[in-house]
Amino acid sequence: MNIMLMAVIGALAAIMANKGIAVFNDGLRPIMPEHIEGRMSRKELAATAFAMSFGLVIGFGIPFSLAASIILIHCILLGTDIIGASSPDGKKGVIISGVIGALYGIGILLGLESVVKAFELLPVNFMGSLGQVGAPIVIAFAAFPALATGYQYGAKKGVLNLAVSVIARQIAIVAGSIQMGSATIKLNPEGTALIVGMVILLVFAMQEKTEDETVDLVSIFEERVKRIKKNIPYLMVMGGLVAAATASGLMAGDPISLNLMKEGQLMDAGFAALARGIGFIPLVASTAIATGVYGPVGMTFVFAVGLFVHNPLLAGLLGAATIGLEVLLLGQIAHFLDKFPGIRKSGDNIRMAMSQLLEVALLVGGMNAANAIAPGIGFFVVVGLYILNDIAGKPVVRMAVGPIAAILVGVLVNVLAVVGLFTV
Amino acid sequence: MIRVVVGGAIRKDDIAKMVQEIGGEKVEVKVMTDLQAALAIQSNQADYYIGACHTGGGGALSMAIALLTIVKCATVSMPGRPPKEEEIIQAVAAGKVAFGFTGDHMEAALPIIMREILAK
Repeated sequence: MNIMLMAVIGALAAIMANKGIAVFNDGLRPIMPEHIEGRMSRKELAATAFAMSFGLVIGFGIPFSLAASIILIHCILLGTDIIGASSPDGKKGVIISGVIGALYGIGILLGLESVVKAFELLPVNFMGSLGQVGAPIVIAFAAFPALATGYQYGAKKGVLNLAVSVIARQIAIVAGSIQMGSATIKLNPEGTALIVGMVILLVFAMQEKTEDETVDLVSIFEERVKRIKKNIPYLMVMGGLVAAATASGLMAGDPISLNLMKEGQLMDAGFAALARGIGFIPLVASTAIATGVYGPVGMTFVFAVGLFVHNPLLAGLLGAATIGLEVLLLGQIAHFLDKFPGIRKSGDNIRMAMSQLLEVALLVGGMNAANAIAPGIGFFVVVGLYILNDIAGKPVVRMAVGPIAAILVGVLVNVLAVVGLFTV
Repeated sequence: MIRVVVGGAIRKDDIAKMVQEIGGEKVEVKVMTDLQAALAIQSNQADYYIGACHTGGGGALSMAIALLTIVKCATVSMPGRPPKEEEIIQAVAAGKVAFGFTGDHMEAALPIIMREILAK
């Protein structure tokens, strides 16, 4: 079942990238029309797609997927971007990209599984300790709305939001059990803090009014919006498949919900995915309208659907409907964002806050995990690698340094154990 | 006077500040939304567009590429791919007017871009 799902997702995503219907990398989306409209050759497009996405697959997608044994969607869809962009035009391209995409999807699933199994066979098994990489995120994720508030409206309002969110969290713990007949509903502490924080951010953001004359994006790029709407059926199928795969616990859309999923906190993961989706609305809507190319998972709300609805079949149907609605409402969403510039800005700030939060939380998590794997050496190596990465001009994105360094420590102690320099 | 507009998605104020610091009296900097900034270049109300995002090309350059085409735009850094001085020099020399990079590479990319623009 899982293998089938991965094969179909891989094939469809690669075909959509090949036809310029949808690409996952937001940076690749603006380039697609350049090829579709004949200003850029297939070869150049392929080279650009490779440069943009390959590093992220290796340096971002795979380490997170390995550390939690759940596939981070970036592993699959950044790869299918490259496959689709590199396959030829026309019908031949559909077949080639479909076949390679399917094989790639299966390869990622089986490849990651076998790497995890291989790690487990090593003299020093570090897979258990490696899970600690995500531990700080599982609580700290609830702080990001407060951080986004800080980025947008200054540190004072950020502190205010953080304080209210923390209080909301504690109230949820103390007074969070609501008796309804014989059933008890338990309010989830971090989920409550996250929602309260998001509400505060959005209330601030709604108050910002437009000063400058707005430009009507939809009318400038009318033809391109039509193109996306024409492709709705493919997008809906893809959205359904991804929602179903998420509901099956096979994949996650971002490192935060991935780690929450691993801990079984599906509600929290759902809320985190929902809030992240809000952060992606402005970016996906504006790049999609300006280019006529959508994203295979749209505004990423399909992941929230998969996490809230545990039945894969139902999640699939709802996921398809979600992407369908996103596309149909694209024009309205753009107008709404024009009316509330604060919300548009908060999208950028939510994403900024999430990546900053992940940088810190994953560094701490990576240090803890590495030190659990190899007491002493762990802290030493992770801190060293983090700063060396900075010195080298950040060849690895900062937030991935923690997980990668922890994995390296795991491999290192095995090498040391073999030569007798490390004893369990 | 060189007119620079800051579009893109993140670190806009940081970019504007750094552009002003490097360019001093020779540049005039404005922070805008990415669409307005790209339109300003198109309608010749500004000379150079600079933007940052998490991929170096999405939020940073999407509007600029859509309005000005790729011929005028350059992504000078991507995640895990720090900016290369040689590429920036070539891009400016080739007449590109819109530059995108990832937010964390700003300190490395911007001084070279500005140096080349000012030397032109």
